[in-house]
Amino acid sequence: MSVVELRGVGKRYESGAETIDALKDVDFTADRGEMVTITGPSGSGKSTMLNLIGLLDEPTEGTVSLQGRNVTDFGEDERTEERRSALGFVFQDFHLLPMLTAVENVELPSMWDTSVDRHDRAVDLLRRVGLGDRLTHTPDELSGGQKQRVAIARSLINEPEVLLADEPTGNLDQDTGGTILDEITRLKAEEDLAVVAITHDEQLVEYADRVVRLVDGVTRT
Amino acid sequence: MSVASLLWRFPSVLMAWRNLGRNRLRTALAALGIVIGVVAICSLGMATVAIEQQATAQLGDLTNEVTVSSGPDSETEGVTEEQVAEMRAIVTDARVIPQKTNRTTLEARNGREARVSVTGVTDANALYDLTTGPAPERLQSGALISNGTAERLALEPGDPVEYEGRIYRIRGFIESEHAFGFGGDLVVPVSGLADQRHYDTVTIIAADGDAAGRIGDRLDTRFNTEEDEELRVSTFGNRAQVGGFLDTLSLALLGIGGISLVVASVAILNVMLMSTVERRGEIGVLRAVGIRRGEVLRMILTEATLLGALGGLVGALVSLATGMVLFHVITGDATAALGWASSRYLVYGFGFAVAASVLSGAYPAWKAANESPVEALRG
Ligand SMILES: Nc1ncnc2c1ncn2[C@@H]1O[C@H](COP(=O)(O)OP(=O)(O)OP(=O)(O)O)[C@@H](O)[C@H]1O
Ligand SMILES: [Mg+2]
Repeated sequence: MSVVELRGVGKRYESGAETIDALKDVDFTADRGEMVTITGPSGSGKSTMLNLIGLLDEPTEGTVSLQGRNVTDFGEDERTEERRSALGFVFQDFHLLPMLTAVENVELPSMWDTSVDRHDRAVDLLRRVGLGDRLTHTPDELSGGQKQRVAIARSLINEPEVLLADEPTGNLDQDTGGTILDEITRLKAEEDLAVVAITHDEQLVEYADRVVRLVDGVTRT
Repeated sequence: MSVASLLWRFPSVLMAWRNLGRNRLRTALAALGIVIGVVAICSLGMATVAIEQQATAQLGDLTNEVTVSSGPDSETEGVTEEQVAEMRAIVTDARVIPQKTNRTTLEARNGREARVSVTGVTDANALYDLTTGPAPERLQSGALISNGTAERLALEPGDPVEYEGRIYRIRGFIESEHAFGFGGDLVVPVSGLADQRHYDTVTIIAADGDAAGRIGDRLDTRFNTEEDEELRVSTFGNRAQVGGFLDTLSLALLGIGGISLVVASVAILNVMLMSTVERRGEIGVLRAVGIRRGEVLRMILTEATLLGALGGLVGALVSLATGMVLFHVITGDATAALGWASSRYLVYGFGFAVAASVLSGAYPAWKAANESPVEALRG
């Protein structure tokens, strides 16, 4: 059973007179322990697809399943619970909160969960991405690569099944991007994650177990 | 346990505190608006309390008096001897002091003249305080005269004054009751106005304002009916009037204070809206990583509440200082500001500040919490 599954998914944006079919009849799966890379030209629907997998958005057609459960018709609150428990996000421009330290940023997703103390896991994750000596630094005291590593640690704090990354190396230079990808690959194995990552970058493709190519909202394998 | 680790148990408070710390100037300015509103409410409220206390203290002397004069339906021009006797029978717990009044012109040996009102009264000591020494308990032969007139006519104690052909020796000086120069007062024994048959006024001095009110009611029911007003009985009902005026004043002042707090909460609304719009992407990230809508809502409401509490606290402290200065100036006793009658305005002010801030935070919080995460993340 695939942990992520899209069946016949379409996404249509209607703005005024214009309608855009950002995705058309997309089938997609991802399994734990594999890294799937989505590539394609700008505007081809990559982010749209990732947002649907990440339950940030709803498809206009087709079904979305997580761990074999159909989550297509989930309401906003149910989707929030799903994101909270099963998904992790990494963004192109890191999106760390500037007033929180590195370790606080990592704890952020579980901050309101007073039932579990994730502090130790947060420290452990930061050590594993090589930031054991930067725990109490704020984002403005970190380099781009360090920020992205904090973001990766944050995405794993809730022990997710799926890690979603939209151009995680897009704002980093070649070498730093490489170390980030090494990091993700290692954590994918350690945490038995399904990783879905978007890239323009041929570099990321080398790390992929599988590559899905999107052109004008249609998948080409 | 450190403050930070304690705050971790209250994530909304921690996040709100950190967010407020991000733009200290903006936070300070928003809080300043609240401070001004609270100071306006509190110091205006405390000022009315001070004025009220001062007014009651000053009116205290007069409010325990009942004044009786001839009513419009009376057949006699004045209060009769029999009526006075009846009053004495009814009012056993207070002194009944009948007076006859007239006006005359006094002439001094130096040729100067002065218009005075003449009061014939026996129990002079109940009505007048001498500027030196006690008034004679019973005024039998001498006279009292107001300071100003005595000075004008160059009269010394023991000097004679003439009224209606009789000579009185001056026994003491009194402060003129007519503060605005309506002339002075001459007080002579009631026998000096013997050709006036009836009394012009009867003053009854009760223990306090309430007792005066009860005596007034008793006399009114005894002598008057709905159609027939034999005697005009006036207590210092002005106490109630003064109270009513002060109530209106304090309402008006509280209104002004309230308006400034409304202005302050509009400022908070504006600041909260601005900062949530600015942090749109950030709130999108929170929602994307699984923070619930209610949690975002609480975080932003807590921010507004902290802002209000901060402004309210500083405002209350400033108001306390202002209140003590006001009380010092108005009543001469700064510590009276600490009394509950006035210090409760500090509590009100603080309460209003927090309530107004929570209200102003509600809309921005609701708006931020309900934004779709994709939209917010797109920026
Ligand atoms: N909210 C929206 N309203 C209208 N059109 C949208 C919206 N979001 C995306 N689109 C359109 O859908 C198409 C796919 O957009 P998407 O962001 O998925 O592209 P992308 O492959 O991620 O591009 P890039 O590589 O530049 O990030 C685009 O034509 C875009 O204009
Ligand atoms: Mg994109």
